[in-house]
Amino acid sequence: MTLWRILFRIPWHILLIAAVLVVVGALALYSASEGSWQPWAGRHALRGAVGVGVVLLMAFIDFKLLHRFSYILLIAALIVLAGLLVIGSGPNVSRWITIGGVSFQPSEPAKIAIILALARYFDSQPQDRMQSLIVYLPALAIIAVPFLLVMKQPDLGTALMLLLGGLSVIFAAGLPWRYVGGVTILALGAMPLLWMTLHEYQKSRVMTFLNPEADVLGAGYQIIQSKIALGSGGLFGKGFLMGSQSQLDYLPEKQTDFVFTMIGEEFGLVGNLFILGLYLALSLSILRISYLVRSRFSQLTCMGISMMLFFYVFVNVAMVSGMLPVVGAPLPLISYGGTSMLTVFIGLGIVTSILIHDRQED
Amino acid sequence: MRRSKEKDLRRIMSRRGFVLAGAAVTMTGFLGARLYYLQVAQTSRYQRLSDRNQFDVRVVPPARGRLFDHKMRLVAGNAESFELRITPLYARNLQDTLDLLASIVELPEARIESVIATAKALPSFREITVRDDLSQRELARLAVRSALLPGVSFGKSLRRIYPQGALTCHITGYVSPVTQREIENDKTLEILPTLGTGKTGVEYMFEPNLRGLPGREKIEVNATGRPIKVLSDVPPAPGNDLQLSVDIGVQLHASERLRQGRWEQVTFGSHEVQAALASDAELQAHLAVGDDMILRDGNGRLVPAESGAAVVMDIHTGEIISLVSAPMFDPNLFTGKLLNRDWRRLNEHPRRPLLNRVTSGLYAPGSTFKMVVGLAALEAGVISENTEFFCTGERELGDSIFHCWRKGGHGAMNIVSALEQSCDVYFYEIALKTGIQKIRDMALRLGLGTVTGVDLPGEKSGIIPSHEWKLANKGVVWTPGETVVAGIGQGYVLTTPMQLAVMTARIANGKDAVVPSLLSKPNGAVQNFAPLDISESALAVIRRGMSAVLYGGAGTANSYQLGKEYGGMAGKTGTVQVKRITLAQREKGITKNIDRPWAERDHALFVAYAPLKNPRYAISVVVEHGGSGSSTAAPVARDILAKTIAERGLT
Repeated sequence: MTLWRILFRIPWHILLIAAVLVVVGALALYSASEGSWQPWAGRHALRGAVGVGVVLLMAFIDFKLLHRFSYILLIAALIVLAGLLVIGSGPNVSRWITIGGVSFQPSEPAKIAIILALARYFDSQPQDRMQSLIVYLPALAIIAVPFLLVMKQPDLGTALMLLLGGLSVIFAAGLPWRYVGGVTILALGAMPLLWMTLHEYQKSRVMTFLNPEADVLGAGYQIIQSKIALGSGGLFGKGFLMGSQSQLDYLPEKQTDFVFTMIGEEFGLVGNLFILGLYLALSLSILRISYLVRSRFSQLTCMGISMMLFFYVFVNVAMVSGMLPVVGAPLPLISYGGTSMLTVFIGLGIVTSILIHDRQED
Repeated sequence: MRRSKEKDLRRIMSRRGFVLAGAAVTMTGFLGARLYYLQVAQTSRYQRLSDRNQFDVRVVPPARGRLFDHKMRLVAGNAESFELRITPLYARNLQDTLDLLASIVELPEARIESVIATAKALPSFREITVRDDLSQRELARLAVRSALLPGVSFGKSLRRIYPQGALTCHITGYVSPVTQREIENDKTLEILPTLGTGKTGVEYMFEPNLRGLPGREKIEVNATGRPIKVLSDVPPAPGNDLQLSVDIGVQLHASERLRQGRWEQVTFGSHEVQAALASDAELQAHLAVGDDMILRDGNGRLVPAESGAAVVMDIHTGEIISLVSAPMFDPNLFTGKLLNRDWRRLNEHPRRPLLNRVTSGLYAPGSTFKMVVGLAALEAGVISENTEFFCTGERELGDSIFHCWRKGGHGAMNIVSALEQSCDVYFYEIALKTGIQKIRDMALRLGLGTVTGVDLPGEKSGIIPSHEWKLANKGVVWTPGETVVAGIGQGYVLTTPMQLAVMTARIANGKDAVVPSLLSKPNGAVQNFAPLDISESALAVIRRGMSAVLYGGAGTANSYQLGKEYGGMAGKTGTVQVKRITLAQREKGITKNIDRPWAERDHALFVAYAPLKNPRYAISVVVEHGGSGSSTAAPVARDILAKTIAERGLT
């Protein structure tokens, strides 16, 4: 394939949306540090540029390579996740791994590994067996093992997104509707079981979510302050660098999980809807690519990455607006955090590679 | 076949893709709706909450006005103290941090619990005061450990102090934390819960002058409650300083002298004193409230300091030079958090140190009332200066016999010699002839039977009986026998030491119905007292009688004359029966005062003015259960007057 052909086929609109989101993120982080490129905004923009480079680089990688390595990737991810539980850094929380001074969260790339593995698994299944439940059980295992490992870290937010992303792949693969209902019932039934496996602090977070005013001092503080910041932003916001909740430190974690709140305070409902619109456009654009590609692997991978991205956003926004408990979920491309951003760009790179090398017209 | 299957699956997946797209759109719609609810529908509510977060209106307490004595010595002031505060949000674990604090500074478990309870009721970013009375030492200990104490900060505050301590307790009264009831009556106190309000004494009477006006600062604060910038600032207006008429030098002498009475002070530390302290509950009660005077009485017993009252005033201006009520208490105990233990000790003390005996202690005036009876009789024309009655030692009236204090009688007496020797029979006679109504009228004009109007709360008016009073309060008619008893200031008659001092001051002044005051008056200030309106000739006779008490050959207090260098003094003794002596006791021979239980002994009273010529100061002294007015109260009054003249002079 010629260079020109590859460049022509690159989904530039997706890259543009991602770039706009990175710029929005950099501006938000500039405001979060009270009008300074240090310590977050500058690095965020730099990482965004690197991310775009990664996508362009991946445009030249044949998707078949991904197909071949998908299981190995999953196994590697599982080994790292299991290893983390033994040697993770940080007190009581083993989310991070440090190699040569660079810390990263293995649970982030694990999301993609699961999607790729599921896509390959369903790709390999004979068409006529897709109506039988037996086919879906190994897929459930592919989700369940990393899900439990991440839960154990403990990182409820990532585990939740991992589960939702994986389940959406199973759904997309054609899980018969009767089983969809069954899985829903199973999930509801498993909730008390899940509750028992939760850590004390996670339980308190959920309880706080149900009634934040009962614990104004502790975990409820974040939700209450986040709602105050969002609500006081109004329709058009208080203006760039003018968000009193954020600038005066009432809002916790404003550079990571609560960055959406800060944007809401400074740019109001208009700013928030603009960002939600960008994310929806991004997810739908990736979803649309699944209609343009040939193999089932490619289709399912695109759908999975699209939904993973969507749930990323949904869990975060629902959390900061008080619809979900505070589980710890960043806002992709806007929140400060290298691993999360790199994961999203790798996802976009995979989609790009698939679109270029597995188009139906070829 | 395979191809169609493939196509089927592709169709299924396409449909699923649409379902996922639809789900994504729908869920984004939910988020949009939620944001609309927060940012449009509820925005005014959240804007209000945001403002409440962002702006802190801090009320800056005013410095309370200080109190000075006549010579500008500090009587009540404000000490800077250090507050220990904690911000729960930043103290990762409140309980742990408080426990750690408790290992560094004194912090009772109950206080920790109350801080945690407060923390639960407030937003976590609000500072809570843990202690408001850190010492420099504690502050230093905390400062070096501050790295281990996240969320802990320090601040300055003002705390009321009384540098004279117990010495001025019944004058200053005290300031203590605002009570719930005060807040209900005065809503402005609600914003200043840390400010103290005067509860008694001058602190209470001049509360509006002393308090000042709080300032207000509208500050932008960050989440840790730290000020970012001051948006508006109304500085507090400090309260007015007050200069009292009291002289600390005289006050100190008066308190020592009154409490010593006629006995000898013993030194602490001796084996005997320690042994007595260990076994004597009454001594222990005194010592527990900080009373460190122990006396050896006439029988060689160790007894606590005398209790009673002494008040000195200027007869022209009404300024009070000294006001002592014993026992006393330390008003500094009340300014912070009064310990239950201290409160119990004060409240359950058998001699009630919290009672201001000068204005609220009621005593029968006894023979000090004889001036009133004499003036009433002179004014009514019942007697003249030379009218004589013969004292046989008793006076019969109907079936009753009224005794004179001297068994054999005084013989022929006129008003001057009757005052000099305090002849009871003489005053029985003239009281009967004058009648209770005229006596009462004179008593009221001299300031008895009514509050004097001194600047202290809780003043008692006492009782000067009359026919109407008896009927209204006892339901029966007045009997002549009661007039006889009233003639020597006993029976129903009750007065306060303050009233007796005012009475004496008015007799000495002769022109003005002087009203006592605790505020210092500038020299030459015009006094707006009502005219006394008692004939000068009658007053002169009475004054001569009072002079004879000290300088007459048979004067009841002629052993306790005030030296010539002070210009001499005139006075009157009073010995007040607390317990009636029965006929049986009288026949056995009256038991000596000191051999009776303390609570059954007579009160010793003395009123006086000095100097004899151009009098300036009046005094009244009550030594509770102190024995006779001559032997116990007279020397106390003489010594205090001498000190008053030495300290304040006569010009």
